[in-house]
Amino acid sequence: MDTREWALVIFTILAQMSVGAFVILGIVHFFASREAGLEEADRLSTRALLAIGPTLALAGVASFFHLGNPINAPQAINNLATSWMSREIVLVIAFSGLGAVFAFMQWRKLASAAVRSTLAGVTAVVGLAMVYSMSQIYMLKTMPSWNSLATPLQFFVTTFLLGSLAVGAAFVANYAYVKRREPACAETQCSLLRSSVRWIALGSIVLLGIEMIAVPLQLAFLSASGVPQGAASVALMYNRYGVLLALRLAFAFVGAGIFALFLYRNSLTGGREQTLGALVYGAFTLVLAAEVLGRFIFYATHIKIGI
Amino acid sequence: MAKQLGFYFDSSICVNCKVCQVACQDKNDLPPHLRWRRVLQYGGGDWLPHPSRPGLFIPNQVFSYAVSISCNHCEKPACVEVCPTGAMTKRSDGIVFVDQNNCIGCRYCEWACPYSAPQYNDIEGVMSKCNFCMDLIDKGEKPACVSACVMRALDFGDIEELRARYGNLAAIEPLPDASITSPALVITPHRHAQASGSGTGRVLNLPEEL
Repeated sequence: MDTREWALVIFTILAQMSVGAFVILGIVHFFASREAGLEEADRLSTRALLAIGPTLALAGVASFFHLGNPINAPQAINNLATSWMSREIVLVIAFSGLGAVFAFMQWRKLASAAVRSTLAGVTAVVGLAMVYSMSQIYMLKTMPSWNSLATPLQFFVTTFLLGSLAVGAAFVANYAYVKRREPACAETQCSLLRSSVRWIALGSIVLLGIEMIAVPLQLAFLSASGVPQGAASVALMYNRYGVLLALRLAFAFVGAGIFALFLYRNSLTGGREQTLGALVYGAFTLVLAAEVLGRFIFYATHIKIGI
Repeated sequence: MAKQLGFYFDSSICVNCKVCQVACQDKNDLPPHLRWRRVLQYGGGDWLPHPSRPGLFIPNQVFSYAVSISCNHCEKPACVEVCPTGAMTKRSDGIVFVDQNNCIGCRYCEWACPYSAPQYNDIEGVMSKCNFCMDLIDKGEKPACVSACVMRALDFGDIEELRARYGNLAAIEPLPDASITSPALVITPHRHAQASGSGTGRVLNLPEEL
């Protein structure tokens, strides 16, 4: 692993988190406005929406560190016909552009809510297409440890797991702000926070389950596939990165499993607000660490077929 | 003009002198760590103690042979398919080359090619690869590696003509299965050549030679 591949770890994780946060935020906003009206739903979600911008910008900056000759970067969209990398870059740009326009409209309340929702829907679809194209980049015949269903599956799990917990963390920060600045709305906001965090906790437990099934299946598949380079990748994961792999699974389990379980209980029974906040931040941090470790292992253990 | 240029390599007479590799580096002015043509030594087997005479060993399936390999200017070039900029291009005569003026140095082609033909030039931050000495080809001359081979183990030409003359074999160990990229390559195997993917031996070159 060198700077180049760390750049890819940061770029893919942050870009996927941005898409996941955008999609989850849209879903939460939809249900929150049905429960408490559009104004309260906006108050819950707009600041979180604005936080996606810098995250995505950071991802974009990181992606340049992966290039040997960034001067030519504009050329990277030339081969849409066959290169998944070109497609990915176009979709990253489209998602960023549409997302920026939507965030600005939402912030300044431009156009009708229906127009804004339609734009948000289009942006979300473009974002999900971006995550898909990102995963297809790694579906190379020469890379057995990448070339399986596990890659798109893992990318989408990262997207939604990190995205939803990031949204949860942003909600908690937003709530602290609202409570100080607009105390009149604090009660409604508190109940919206609790109900959204409850669903986020539930969702992350389900996603953790998918991850915990997918990871061992992928390792078993690679070992049993009869492709020596695939088996060599598994050996590398175990021998050199075994501790990191164990940490990755443990962090994910504690963050998206145990913390999320307490979070679910806390938000359901109306437990202390500080505890809820601490649990959300803790879960997000742990899952972020787990996904970064997982992506690091992904890039550090590919072994190519051939010479 | 040829429809698809390709290389022919006769492993049965190659003596592993590496003059093709050196001629390539010389002609293309490559730094030491870039080798558009490499000669791999593949070998295996072991030595068993003599049953009655201590200190003596008997060779057991010991073999070794050389494989000179450059870019194969594949009929399905994975590098061209994945290159996001179009810098990796296939000419009408089949030659695959990289236009360094358009390359962003993302190294995606390096991941996709099972022959490690696209090689990263870390001085310029862009990819480099065998271009079949297309400047010489365009003048009607031979590629530098073919001219230099003292054993006449290398040849080039239209791949259909090469196949008609030498057969269809395009993969022996340690080369990957030819179905991945359909290389424009014909090999006459060494008598000890192992089937591609059999894993009966290993590449014996030093790591810094690869």
